[in-house]
Amino acid sequence: MPNFYNVEFDNALLLGTAQYPSPAILTDAIRHSQVQIVTASLRREAGGSGAGQNFWDMIKGLGIRVLPNTASCYSVKEAVTTAHMAREVFDTRWIKLEVIGNSDTLQPDIFGLVEAARILCEDGFEVFPYTTEDLVLADKLLQVGCEVLMPWGSPIGSGRGLNNPYGIRTLRAHFPDVPLIIDAGIGLPSQAAQAMELGCDAVLLNTAVAKSGDPVTMAKAFADAISAGRAAFLSTPIEMSDMAQPSTPVIGKAFLA
Amino acid sequence: MRIVLNGQYCEVKSTMLDQILIECDYINPAIATALNDTIVHKQARVGTVLNEGDRLEVVAPIGGG
Amino acid sequence: MTVSIIGAGVAGLTCACVLVDQGVSVKIYEQSDAIGSNACSWYAGGMLAPWCESESSEQWVLDHGIESIEWWDQHTSNLTKNGSLVLSMQRDKRDIQRYATLTENHRWLNGSEISEMEPDLSGRFERGLFYADEAHLDSRLALQQLVGYLSSKNVDVQFDRSITVNDCNSDYVIDCRGYGARHDLPELRGVKGEMLLLKSNDISLSRAVRLVHPRYPLYIVPRAEGLFMLGATMIENDERHRISARSMLELLSAAYALHPAFGEAEILEIGVDVRPAFSNNLPQLRRNKNTLYVNGLYRHGFLLGPAIAKLAAQAILDESKFLEVKPCALS
Ligand SMILES: Cc1cc2nc3c(=O)[nH]c(=O)nc-3n(C[C@H](O)[C@H](O)[C@H](O)COP(=O)(O)OP(=O)(O)OC[C@H]3O[C@@H](n4cnc5c(N)ncnc54)[C@H](O)[C@@H]3O)c2cc1C
Repeated sequence: MPNFYNVEFDNALLLGTAQYPSPAILTDAIRHSQVQIVTASLRREAGGSGAGQNFWDMIKGLGIRVLPNTASCYSVKEAVTTAHMAREVFDTRWIKLEVIGNSDTLQPDIFGLVEAARILCEDGFEVFPYTTEDLVLADKLLQVGCEVLMPWGSPIGSGRGLNNPYGIRTLRAHFPDVPLIIDAGIGLPSQAAQAMELGCDAVLLNTAVAKSGDPVTMAKAFADAISAGRAAFLSTPIEMSDMAQPSTPVIGKAFLA
Repeated sequence: MRIVLNGQYCEVKSTMLDQILIECDYINPAIATALNDTIVHKQARVGTVLNEGDRLEVVAPIGGG
Repeated sequence: MTVSIIGAGVAGLTCACVLVDQGVSVKIYEQSDAIGSNACSWYAGGMLAPWCESESSEQWVLDHGIESIEWWDQHTSNLTKNGSLVLSMQRDKRDIQRYATLTENHRWLNGSEISEMEPDLSGRFERGLFYADEAHLDSRLALQQLVGYLSSKNVDVQFDRSITVNDCNSDYVIDCRGYGARHDLPELRGVKGEMLLLKSNDISLSRAVRLVHPRYPLYIVPRAEGLFMLGATMIENDERHRISARSMLELLSAAYALHPAFGEAEILEIGVDVRPAFSNNLPQLRRNKNTLYVNGLYRHGFLLGPAIAKLAAQAILDESKFLEVKPCALS
């Protein structure tokens, strides 16, 4: 079962909370798939508006944990300030750290990411860095104090699945004890299952559920695929081979012309 | 005094941050504030004095991925 | 039986019409001095597009939206039943594919079929979706025509009357204050919408055109005299004023992408208002003593107004139906 910063969870599906057809469908999707962690964000709010409070009350009413993000932050300073504001509003030390480097691919600015992670870890945050599958980068993030890694599958919202399964496998092998959450790019339950079969600890997704024709059912499909993938990983799958190996015993076959 | 509130000029009578928030009708607790790009924690709002031209950001929760 | 209706937006006016059609005596009180001057309904595109809407809404919207088209046809003279067209930029190809999969009652058009339907768009799009049974109306004209219809039935529509439930001494009160009723209906939230009114005589369209967009359903609805309603953003907050530059940019880019002639259009008006919505984005009835609340029309005031008005009328005319309505959770 996934364990992030010494908190144990029963469900390895993490959901984003944007883009659903309605708030009711969002809450149904969370309940139906028994999700225990959701991501959320911060935006400017006008005086007199109750929008932010409504959203927050709705999430609190679900009794789940929130992982606030620093989405759309392009600089270290911006990300760090946003993280501090998130800690205060959401009352958590957790932060999904995004420092974006390119607006077309939304891939992380890895230099800024390490720097922001260092500052936030020193400030007592429990950082979930949105990173690539790069091994050396992962090592640097761990050195500055991160205890969880969130490598991307492919660009955010693209639905392409794992662009580099080999890279994810290498990360897993190299850091067997670090929780890995695949974040971004997952479009189908089979892709999420693949990530889990490779030994990842959890999968975070948003668009694939929110923009599907039936988000409630799709969230459940992802939860099922993720638990199937996890079970497969724990059961030590067979190795691939190039040749067939008959599954029915060959000895004792009747000799018929 | 004129400040920049969430990117827009805003005329306020108060000078203390906690008072400015009340004046600008921020009634809900689920907000965070940053003054000139630096966070001002909830407890520090009383006692934080704003000056002409200061930039104040007020943010609140929203769905995100 | 006497019924007072508070609010002359699309909810109040459709409720009044449905009740009057059933012989009930109604009175309407509206706080502003003229129809629409403080109503979200004034900014609606007037799209009656139940099939398109089912891309992101529940079956209820489809079922009841279809019946509303018929109702509008009987109560206004400006319904245009030319279907609607859904197009996408090359970049958003996957989004129109998704649209096609999630909705029904449409057919694919190729470039020359699009040109035939909308000559001014010829050569601009290779593929599109056509929803033949959809319609649109000029929402402002429609509101005015409903007021005209009510006057012809001797209904008293009183403007400049900001009132509360306690001011009414009728058998029933229907509260149709839209987002103005949020203090009585704590579950109500606001969804900001921004729109532009453009004028261009360089281009004409015969039907509402949607441009699929990853975030909002952007559309252009043609009105008489070269007017076009360009809408609409969907933002989860309750700010009723101020369009942002980003929204303006996105709206205008969509229009320009549809046809460069819109680049030369005059911007006649910028409209911003808040759609009243419940958490499932469906309209709902609530009751408290002898008051019936009709609210939560979200982005479907015209599409679902007649349908929810019929349910409201049933509740008013049948005590047992009234008691089935969920009571208010008064704050
Ligand atoms: C940009 C935009 C585009 C849209 N496009 C479409 C579309 O294409 N199709 C569609 O179906 N819907 C559309 N909508 C949604 C539609 O406008 C709303 O669903 C609808 O207007 C809600 O109607 P209502 O009557 O509940 O509220 P309102 O229209 O706001 O009416 C409420 C009325 O009550 C009055 N009032 C309030 N308090 C009092 C009081 N105390 N005493 C007396 N009167 C009072 C107000 O002055 C107002 O006139 C759009 C909305 C926006 C913002």
